[in-house]
Amino acid sequence: MTSLYLYPAWLRLWHWINALLFLTLIASGVSMHYAGADWLMPFATARVVHNTAGILLTIGWIGFVVVNARSQNARHYRVRFRTLIGDLIAQTRYYMIGIFRLEPHPFHVTEAMKFNTLQQLSYLGVMYGLMPILILSGWAFLYSIYLPETLFGLGSVWVVAMTHVVVSYLLALFLLVHMYIITTGDTVFSNLRAMITGWHRETDAPRTETTAPARRETP
Amino acid sequence: MNPARNRVAASAIGIRLDHPDPTDRDRLASSTGGTRCGRLLLAVWLCVIVLGTPAAHAEAAAADPGRAGEEVEHSEAASDRHGCLRCHAMPTLAYRNPESGEIVDLSIDREGLAHSVHGELACIDCHRRSYRRYPHPDRPAPGDLDCIGCHEDDDQNLSRGWVDIDAEFKRSVHAVSDSPKAVGFSCHSCHDPHRFRPAAVGEPIAQIVRNHNEVCLSCHGKLIAPTNTSHDWLPNRDAHWASVRCVECHTPVADFANHEVLPAEKSEKNCVSCHSANPQLLARLYHFQSEEDIARSGLLAKAVFNEAYVVGMSKSPALDRLSLAIMGLMVLLLAAHGVGRYLVRRANRRG
Repeated sequence: MTSLYLYPAWLRLWHWINALLFLTLIASGVSMHYAGADWLMPFATARVVHNTAGILLTIGWIGFVVVNARSQNARHYRVRFRTLIGDLIAQTRYYMIGIFRLEPHPFHVTEAMKFNTLQQLSYLGVMYGLMPILILSGWAFLYSIYLPETLFGLGSVWVVAMTHVVVSYLLALFLLVHMYIITTGDTVFSNLRAMITGWHRETDAPRTETTAPARRETP
Repeated sequence: MNPARNRVAASAIGIRLDHPDPTDRDRLASSTGGTRCGRLLLAVWLCVIVLGTPAAHAEAAAADPGRAGEEVEHSEAASDRHGCLRCHAMPTLAYRNPESGEIVDLSIDREGLAHSVHGELACIDCHRRSYRRYPHPDRPAPGDLDCIGCHEDDDQNLSRGWVDIDAEFKRSVHAVSDSPKAVGFSCHSCHDPHRFRPAAVGEPIAQIVRNHNEVCLSCHGKLIAPTNTSHDWLPNRDAHWASVRCVECHTPVADFANHEVLPAEKSEKNCVSCHSANPQLLARLYHFQSEEDIARSGLLAKAVFNEAYVVGMSKSPALDRLSLAIMGLMVLLLAAHGVGRYLVRRANRRG
């Protein structure tokens, strides 16, 4: 059994606060978007909850960007361009075929790199692409009276609303995939446990005597 | 001789026979040099014109009776308005009500009247009977200034007829309130018939909203004072005030009864009435945007902006369906992937 301490306390705390805020934002966002149904939050409540959670998410995101840039964690976000294409193909092939053949994982988690290429690209896209757009469009909603009447010839509020909704759907899609992928670790719950304890554990026992120890990705 | 025809003929040469004006007479006299001969010539000329004009009109009427009748009616109305506006267009025309002590403004904005829906009417069409003469009576005779009396029959093409409006008004807080301020409340308390003009197709919504709300605020202006807290519960209060007519929330939501103004405690406070997939209030707000207006904006804009104005509505049903379909498909794929993994592991354990 190898154990790597991959998730420092600040990161785990941020992760779970983020997760909680995400679920709150989805519940309150859906309640406003599809307002009127009995099983949803009352609109007036959802509005306050959504705005509050959105503000907290903004603070959390800024905190993540700042701390991530200043800590060792930043190295996990550096793209390995030289091997990018090959890694992507290998990783995709593993999820589509290899995993059903019980093949060893093509990527090995180390202290220097905890993300496989697919993970790395999706986290980069989410944290530095979708999240800022989501946050900016959310704030633009709050202060829409200061926006110009039109953006690109379309009504500003409409542009903001559609951007916010599209990005929200994409992030909800990410959440679905994220929650499934974490079950593809050493055991179904090993990655979940790692994000709680901070320790990434995996069995050393290789599937064959000659190959290197099989590793699983972390979330 | 028909006095109306006399008026027409007289107005053609700039003389008002029904409102003789000493200055006009003096000017006329001086222009003819004041000689007996000149006066005689003028008298003959006037006779020719006064007697000849009806004959000319009769010829024209024979050629096109409808049009000629309309023209006569219009010029009669114009002449009538002109006569009244000689006094009432003066911005300072007013008197102090001896009972209440309040200044009663009698002035009428000439431009406003010309652009109003009543701009083509003669004043005495509404101000009947004794208003034909000066001095006017103290108060209008019964039947004067009766909106429904004129408009009862012209509701054929309206979604809401004047009789409905009258019934709505009679149920409204303006009609049933015990407040001394509501005594004598009538159509004219809100709708100035000398300025009233319905919203035109294509007019910016913000302008329509502003015009409508100005009517309410002319009495209830203190409600928008910075110190007033009556609307503090309303999120983004100022944005609502700029985009939503008062009557959207202050009349029953269920129908288009815009004149059944509700008391404050019964007014709409439920956000979801607007901010939902089935927004009745929103439908009311935009119901006056005709199909022509949508056609003018273009099909693309209609598709893009489809019901996109209020936060929380189903902004784009197509986008929602597509997104939910993609997510549903993703759940199925992930479930299938999971089941596949489980089956492979189970087979591996058994093998």
